[in-house]
Amino acid sequence: MMAITDDRLMAYLDGELDAAARAEVEAALDADAELQAKMETQRKLRARLSARYDPVAEEEVPDHLRAMLEPKVVDLDIERARRARPIWQSVAGIAATLVLGIAIGRLAPGGGSGPVAIENGVMIARGSLETALDTQLASAQAPDGPTRIGVSFAGVDGRLCRTFEDAALSGLACHGAQGWQVMVAAPGSDAQQSDYRQAGSGSPLVLQAAQEMMAGEPLDAEAERRARDAGWPQTR
Amino acid sequence: MQGFEGELLSLLPRLRRFARALARDAADADDLTQLALERALKARRQWAPGTRLDAWTMRIMRNLWIDEARSRSRRAQTFAPEEAGTLVGSDAHRDIERAAEMHDVDRAMNALPDEQREAVALVLVEGLAYREAAELLDIPIGTLTSRLTRGRQALAQMLEAA
Repeated sequence: MMAITDDRLMAYLDGELDAAARAEVEAALDADAELQAKMETQRKLRARLSARYDPVAEEEVPDHLRAMLEPKVVDLDIERARRARPIWQSVAGIAATLVLGIAIGRLAPGGGSGPVAIENGVMIARGSLETALDTQLASAQAPDGPTRIGVSFAGVDGRLCRTFEDAALSGLACHGAQGWQVMVAAPGSDAQQSDYRQAGSGSPLVLQAAQEMMAGEPLDAEAERRARDAGWPQTR
Repeated sequence: MQGFEGELLSLLPRLRRFARALARDAADADDLTQLALERALKARRQWAPGTRLDAWTMRIMRNLWIDEARSRSRRAQTFAPEEAGTLVGSDAHRDIERAAEMHDVDRAMNALPDEQREAVALVLVEGLAYREAAELLDIPIGTLTSRLTRGRQALAQMLEAA
């Protein structure tokens, strides 16, 4: 078997390898304790970097920085009516910018039940998916989390909704009395293969659904944080 | 909210995180963020709608940071070692105090060469794909990955010893 170089091991950790190359590294890892130790060291390093820097993205942005970007006085209704750009475009744009990086080639710890349960005839998010929907901010995601949140928005029915994507599943869920109801489910990022994988911008199907269900604009970083801190309340 | 400003606003938390990974401390990071926003607003016509605004803005920030780092190292070189010794009580002293209260991770990042630090910040902190980071830095992917590997090994070593 070919020796696994350090660059190769790092590319594995960074989710930059395709399935065949991943399998090769995994086979080598099984057989090589030294390689495993290297990987463990690098995992720890990643965790320490996340622990140090990710909280910065969750802090409230200082006023003087916000003020540089906020319009002075804007009548929102007029502004909304004037805007020619279709929502579809801004959703795709925001999703593409926010859904950065990809889940690292690591499987969720075995066993356990799936990310979605059927309860009272509807699909409800469970496990790590539920946690991600509850807590993860699209604007402040750890680069190697298993689930990526795309956009968050208020639906026309007043529920807060979010798009998500992990290796197996992408979709759209809205928050109600039962928790996160999955409204749309589609294949996840592993269904899209290439050498250096693009930041997943989510399935077109999911974005299409988001566009149709959205009332107004997607939540910005600040509104998203407030919604999370308030437990994803009904907007009206 | 208008498109360009609105999108920048939603990127702001991430831009602050990126700045924090590049700059020496939190105060410098927010200064860097402010400069980058000023520059981005001024240069907004150069941004092609439909392309990645995050990468565009991070590139601006990174270039500002490199300029600043270069002028800082020029300033440092103008002091001969014996003169630097007489600075205790002023700048040098404050730098030492600052370093003492620094977080382990900050100290390790500060010890990295700039080219390794920016690679680590883009890929490990911001989660950019190799191709995206290499494009942003105008270097081949192979160069990026070797800087990244060296930077990580150095960080792991420093933090293990800490």
